[in-house]
Amino acid sequence: MPRTSRFEGRLLIAPLTAFLIALLGFPLVLDIIYSISHVGFENIRAPELTGFSNYAKAIADPEFWAAAWFSLRFGLIVAVIQVVAGLGLAVFLAPLFAKRPWLIALLMLPMMVAPALVGLMYRLILHEFVGAVPYYLLEWYGDFPAFLGRDWAFTTLVTVETLQWTPFALLILHSSYAAVSPDIREAASLDGARGRRLFLNIDLPLMLPAIGITFFLRFIDSFRVFDNLYTLVGPGAGGSTTSMSIYIYQAFFKVGDIGLAVAASMLLLVASFMVLWVINGLTARKAPL
Amino acid sequence: MRKSLVNTLRWLVFAVAVIVLNFPVIATLVTSLKSEAEIMTNASLVIEAPTLDNYAAVFAMADRFDILHFLMNSLVASLIGSALAIFLAFPAAYAMARFGVGRSWLLPLAVNLRAVPLIIFAIPIYLMFQQVGLLDTRFGLALILCLVNVPLVLVLFASSIADLPLEIEEAGRVDGAGTLRLLVYVVAPMSLNVVAASSVLAFIYSWNEFLFGLMLTTNNATPVSVGASFFFAASGGGVRWGVAAAVMILATLPPLILGLLMYRQIGRSMTAGAVKG
Repeated sequence: MPRTSRFEGRLLIAPLTAFLIALLGFPLVLDIIYSISHVGFENIRAPELTGFSNYAKAIADPEFWAAAWFSLRFGLIVAVIQVVAGLGLAVFLAPLFAKRPWLIALLMLPMMVAPALVGLMYRLILHEFVGAVPYYLLEWYGDFPAFLGRDWAFTTLVTVETLQWTPFALLILHSSYAAVSPDIREAASLDGARGRRLFLNIDLPLMLPAIGITFFLRFIDSFRVFDNLYTLVGPGAGGSTTSMSIYIYQAFFKVGDIGLAVAASMLLLVASFMVLWVINGLTARKAPL
Repeated sequence: MRKSLVNTLRWLVFAVAVIVLNFPVIATLVTSLKSEAEIMTNASLVIEAPTLDNYAAVFAMADRFDILHFLMNSLVASLIGSALAIFLAFPAAYAMARFGVGRSWLLPLAVNLRAVPLIIFAIPIYLMFQQVGLLDTRFGLALILCLVNVPLVLVLFASSIADLPLEIEEAGRVDGAGTLRLLVYVVAPMSLNVVAASSVLAFIYSWNEFLFGLMLTTNNATPVSVGASFFFAASGGGVRWGVAAAVMILATLPPLILGLLMYRQIGRSMTAGAVKG
């Protein structure tokens, strides 16, 4: 490549690079410094290096582990349900979408609503006096649970998150299902494969990469859940619904413990890299096939 | 016979899915159209006496909570944030696709960034903004919205530019056009589809962003995703549910309408963003 075009290329990526250095690189450096310092709002410009006590504090905090466990469990459960439900809908409704593509728009609408607002909406919908859900449950079954109480909060949040983001799985898996070549299906059906067998032996293997990607994207989005959780229940009864993001937010804004919040952030970053590393490893191994 | 039965079942499943998945918006819309008195006595989805009083009430309390101000903050910050993301990502994507510059680190960085919880950077960004006076400003919020959207926009551009035919650019080069001219007069016009599709998605994501709006604004630049919850506590005592419902509908309407109008572009961008990433 001629030297000038390499130079031009560098010029073209310079603005974005500068932007990322300012808003990601610099914050990351601050994160690292603060995480090994004794720091409060009073000495924010001159933090006092103290080693790894902030990390020790985070690791020794049972609430930190409770939050990590909540996020992991929440992310996994929600991702599994969404992929299964999305796959089911995508395949079952495919004939409808093939004739009338706009139908899928109605199922995509939930994704257009801010998760924070969805959380607020459920405060209304689940309210014991004015909410529609308790009203109908009372009408039909004579009783309804305390949706946001200790026993039910997790289930409620899983449902809220699943109902909003199953459309994403549906969308991705629908386009993956529609992309399976009709020739392959025809050839398989000539060989006698029908219905379930056709799906299990032909469609499903071809859709596997898309299913993996969908699962991964839904998992990370739900793992870092903040908005709807914050607006619907906050940390919840006795911290029972504290996700990692909520934990960090609380440590910073409610407790004012910058060092702890930042150390927890760094641990979360390391955890994210580990997940990414595993994912990249999996996809790299699949690539040559 | 059996085929038509299955088809009926499909429509049934579709209808149920539409209602269940959109239930929060449907139920909130219904509540927003009931009078305050009716909300207290009738929690069902049937409206006895539809009224727009709640919407009038929302605008009438502008002296304490100004919905138009919140909407305007969201609009301005989202527009600047999306435009900036496109402005930064477009030349970078071109450099990656055509010169190979940064493909080995910038693209993986951007892709992986989407998997990193942004709260990790939220605290230092808060402290930085405090020092430079960007806290509670629309521009400060827009910078963050740009950061949120850059990964997706970059991935979309990088794959679409790589798909453009090289011949037209080469012809332009032969005619003596420099890279910048090519970018503006040749590549950009050919990429209008992707620009439109990704800016719609970036706008919707920006409009719906909550965490940074919550942390980085207090009053002046509060976006509507954050400001909406203020109305829950607006009357001191109990929540005025009708007002709260009307606010939520108003805050949701812009991305909802965009979503209905541009579902095809949004769907394509979401799919490409997921698969290419």
